[in-house]
Amino acid sequence: MIETKAISKTVSTSEGLLTILKPIDVLVKSGETVAIVGASGSGKSTLLGLLAGLDTVSTGEIYLDGQPLHSMDEEQRAQLRGEKVGFIFQSFMLVQSLTALENIMLPAQIAGLADAKQRGQEILELVGLGHRSHHYPNQLSGGEQQRVAIARAFIARPKILFADEPTGNLDSENSDKIEDLLFKLNEDSNTTLILVTHDHELAQRCQRQLHMHAGELSEASSDISQGAARVG
Amino acid sequence: MSGKAMWGDLAWRLFRHEARRGELSIILAAIVLSVAAVLSLSLFSARLQTALSAKSAEFMASDRQLTSNSAVDPEWLDKARESGLNTAQQRGMRSMVFANDNMVLADVRAVNEQYPLKGKVKSSDDPFAIGVETDSLPEPGNVWIDSRLFQVLKLNIGDKLEIGDALFTVSKVVADIPDRGFSVFGNDHLVLMRLVDLDSTNLAGPGSRVGYRYFFTGSSGDLDSYYDWLEPQLNSELHRWVSIEDDDTAIGNSVRRAERFFLLASLLAIVLASVSIAVAAQRYSQRHFDPVAIMKTLGASRSWVQKVYLTQILLITVFGIILGVIVGYSIQQLVVWLVAERVPVSIDSWHWRPLVVAVFTGFICAVLFSLYPLMKLFSVPPLRVLRRDLGAGMSARFIQFLASGSAIFLLMWAYSGNLRISLILFVCGVLLVLGLLLVTMGLIRVGRKLGQGNIGPWQLAWARIRRRAMDNSVQLISFSVTLLLLLVVLVMRNDMVSQWRQQLPEGTPNYFLANITDNKLANFQQHFADLNVETGDLYPIVRGRLAAIDQESVRTAVSKEDEDEEENNGRGGLGREANLSWTDTLQEGNTIIAGEWLSADITNGPEVSVEQGVAERLDIKLNDMLSFNIGGQTMEAKVTSLREVNWQSMRPNFFFILQPAAMADFSPTYITSFHLPPERKSELTQLMAPFSSVSLFDIDARINQLREIIDQVSLAVEFILILVLAAGSLVLIAQVQSSMDERLQELAILRTLGAKGRLIRLSVIFEFVIIGVVAGAMAAIANELTLYLLQTQIFNMEANMHWDFWLLSPLMGAAIVGVLGAVSCWRLLRLNTAAILRQML
Repeated sequence: MIETKAISKTVSTSEGLLTILKPIDVLVKSGETVAIVGASGSGKSTLLGLLAGLDTVSTGEIYLDGQPLHSMDEEQRAQLRGEKVGFIFQSFMLVQSLTALENIMLPAQIAGLADAKQRGQEILELVGLGHRSHHYPNQLSGGEQQRVAIARAFIARPKILFADEPTGNLDSENSDKIEDLLFKLNEDSNTTLILVTHDHELAQRCQRQLHMHAGELSEASSDISQGAARVG
Repeated sequence: MSGKAMWGDLAWRLFRHEARRGELSIILAAIVLSVAAVLSLSLFSARLQTALSAKSAEFMASDRQLTSNSAVDPEWLDKARESGLNTAQQRGMRSMVFANDNMVLADVRAVNEQYPLKGKVKSSDDPFAIGVETDSLPEPGNVWIDSRLFQVLKLNIGDKLEIGDALFTVSKVVADIPDRGFSVFGNDHLVLMRLVDLDSTNLAGPGSRVGYRYFFTGSSGDLDSYYDWLEPQLNSELHRWVSIEDDDTAIGNSVRRAERFFLLASLLAIVLASVSIAVAAQRYSQRHFDPVAIMKTLGASRSWVQKVYLTQILLITVFGIILGVIVGYSIQQLVVWLVAERVPVSIDSWHWRPLVVAVFTGFICAVLFSLYPLMKLFSVPPLRVLRRDLGAGMSARFIQFLASGSAIFLLMWAYSGNLRISLILFVCGVLLVLGLLLVTMGLIRVGRKLGQGNIGPWQLAWARIRRRAMDNSVQLISFSVTLLLLLVVLVMRNDMVSQWRQQLPEGTPNYFLANITDNKLANFQQHFADLNVETGDLYPIVRGRLAAIDQESVRTAVSKEDEDEEENNGRGGLGREANLSWTDTLQEGNTIIAGEWLSADITNGPEVSVEQGVAERLDIKLNDMLSFNIGGQTMEAKVTSLREVNWQSMRPNFFFILQPAAMADFSPTYITSFHLPPERKSELTQLMAPFSSVSLFDIDARINQLREIIDQVSLAVEFILILVLAAGSLVLIAQVQSSMDERLQELAILRTLGAKGRLIRLSVIFEFVIIGVVAGAMAAIANELTLYLLQTQIFNMEANMHWDFWLLSPLMGAAIVGVLGAVSCWRLLRLNTAAILRQML
């Protein structure tokens, strides 16, 4: 489903080139759930950005659902994201001036789906916020906002879901609810899930855990045969 | 719904929600402000110009005049009437008139019954009484003559006056006719008669020197198309087409200067609008970085995002323009209503151009000034959803300056059609911006030193200035430009109004006296002193004919000069003979433009100083020898200087001025002036009784008219000033507001960390005061340069330094910007910190 071949990321700073990611090979199969864990600044979010096609690699190759992300331009990557990828963020990333329903409809509208509204309403019911469809994000609690974000992530029925600290801004009660919702929807739709988290409990719920440390990746799962992670 | 319609739907939703939630208020306010300011200013000035043109037209007795040396083809007048124009005719000539065995040269005007088409004839029943407007004219067989003629010819109402071969009854005093002109001395005694009587005088026969004037009124479109038809048939030797714009009198000049001021004010309003839109668009763009990153992350292509936001800007623009037109029209209507009592502005007249200009300005400003911020917005990378510090991919701020700079310049040029005035404002603006960039760099250095020490409000203020150098430089520029524009309008108005008032200070002479002979001079001065009337300078005069230039006889030149004199009776001075005067000192209002002023003695032979206009007409150059024939005697003088003369001054001016030593042998008469307040007008007869041969010129009415117009124009200028000041203040408020939002996060953090309100408030006030002082100081410098260029290049005024504003402007900047900052800060501190922090997540 996602395969990388020796991808690395280097940025130029005032003090010269800085390597954020050392060459990494990852293979994530379809329907798998994978957690990327590590300390702050270890490069987890950078890796997520590369895998999701939000950022470009310095070297190496990435294949998302068989398509070469590394050789695509911004427009092609956007199209691929629209077709196959869903996102959930720590800070929810809702458009403040759109209502809950409109936020959810956004990916479907971008994809040009005619039934965006109908789908939006259905999935809003599914996450338990049917009665709050016309509320703006700032009128919702953190947990509710993240539920809206999850609904938005699933509306276009993505093949792969990327989540960046999905419960990072929530209290433990809300975190549990959000985790349950996330894994349930993931299971129901057989989506591949790649999430970045500090939270060990959350990471444990994934089939595999990858550890980032100073730009290097190591496999922490007991079941190493399901995938491969190599330090390059 | 198709994919295509989806972006439209989203754009509309965004617009609706954001408008309802007040998130578009700043950019909307900027567009509304720009449209409203441009519309109200240009609509008001268009109406005022119509009103003032109407007033000027009264001094021409029509909208247009055709002057000619011979009668024109009657077909021309038929055509004018067919074109929907009103016409009237006047024939004027200088002629001797006789009564009681006396004769005197008079300015005889024969008019038909349509005269005057604009303005009124003023008449009275007694000489020197105040003239009253009348619609009537002398009946055939009667003439009306001016007060002086009664005095000179010892006439009473009902007496007979002989003009040419005919005898007329003097039935009234003519106090004034609209097209008399503003000259103090140029006019001979006025005689007004009917055109039907002219033939009986036999004055207008072959060989006579009659000036023909044809008057026209009508809509400007009809007048223009008539002129288009007429122009090819005109002979420049014989005919002259005169419109209000050619009016070279004091009034014409004042009105033109006021029009330029309105144009300037409108241009400044456009620049203000541009600045406010640029600021607002910048903020709008920054606020949408997140939504754009989200959309892109969710798969939106760049073009999809572009469509959404371009549509939204278009919606905002259209909405803003509609609101702006309503607001601008209301403001303008309010101003017209307020000034209607004192300025004759017609509410009925409607002008399309201001509306078109305002809508165009709003549209162009909104599109051009949001273009760069939008381009930045479109370049926001999707990765921003993970890395919040990522801004737009584009930098190159100079592109923004270049784009907005050229946009402003093009707008100014397109609107004013005046490259010079646009260039002056633009170049000064660019210099100001460059200066400010340097100053910002200086501030950062200074800030490093001044901001050291324990953290207090002062240190916090400097820290922010240093850290936000680039943002502050943009802010500094917008504050400075706004202050500069306000200063320019304010100072321009002060200088203009005070120079107008200077033309006619209190106590301006309202009576002139001529023909005071040498032997009566002492008596005359004693008599006036006894009656407590102060007289002005005495100017000696002898009449002389310019006979030759460099031995070359100038008969033809002299007659040409006479023609010009007839056409330009607003100029005064030269008759068939010239008034030659002499003095040691250059008169006020005279400037030497070539050569040197007369030397004190005549060891190198007599010298003469010649007025520039007459020198040009007669092709007189420095070092030419002029021969004058003075009462049969010839005197020669070398031209040693050419003078520029301010003809708008209510003083006697002379074409030829010689040295006193050279003229010692001639016995002069004197000209002088005095001011008599209206309440002492009844003393005139007593004052003049012993001097029957002295001619009295009453210009009181003229001065009052001039003063009235100047007051009206000044009042209008004041209102324009207030409008621009209001627009400028709104721009400043918008700027402070938007910059406060940028400080929101920092303030919230300080608050969260327990900083007291006083610390935060003081630090913000200090920051704004520092910015205000710098902006004010820079604006003062740029203001001086701009004013110098405007006054010398556009307004034909004397430029002077405005030192008071060098102090006032930084203080003003500090006060205005500081207070606005304090107010906004107070608003912020009232917000719930938790709410701010949550909003920023």
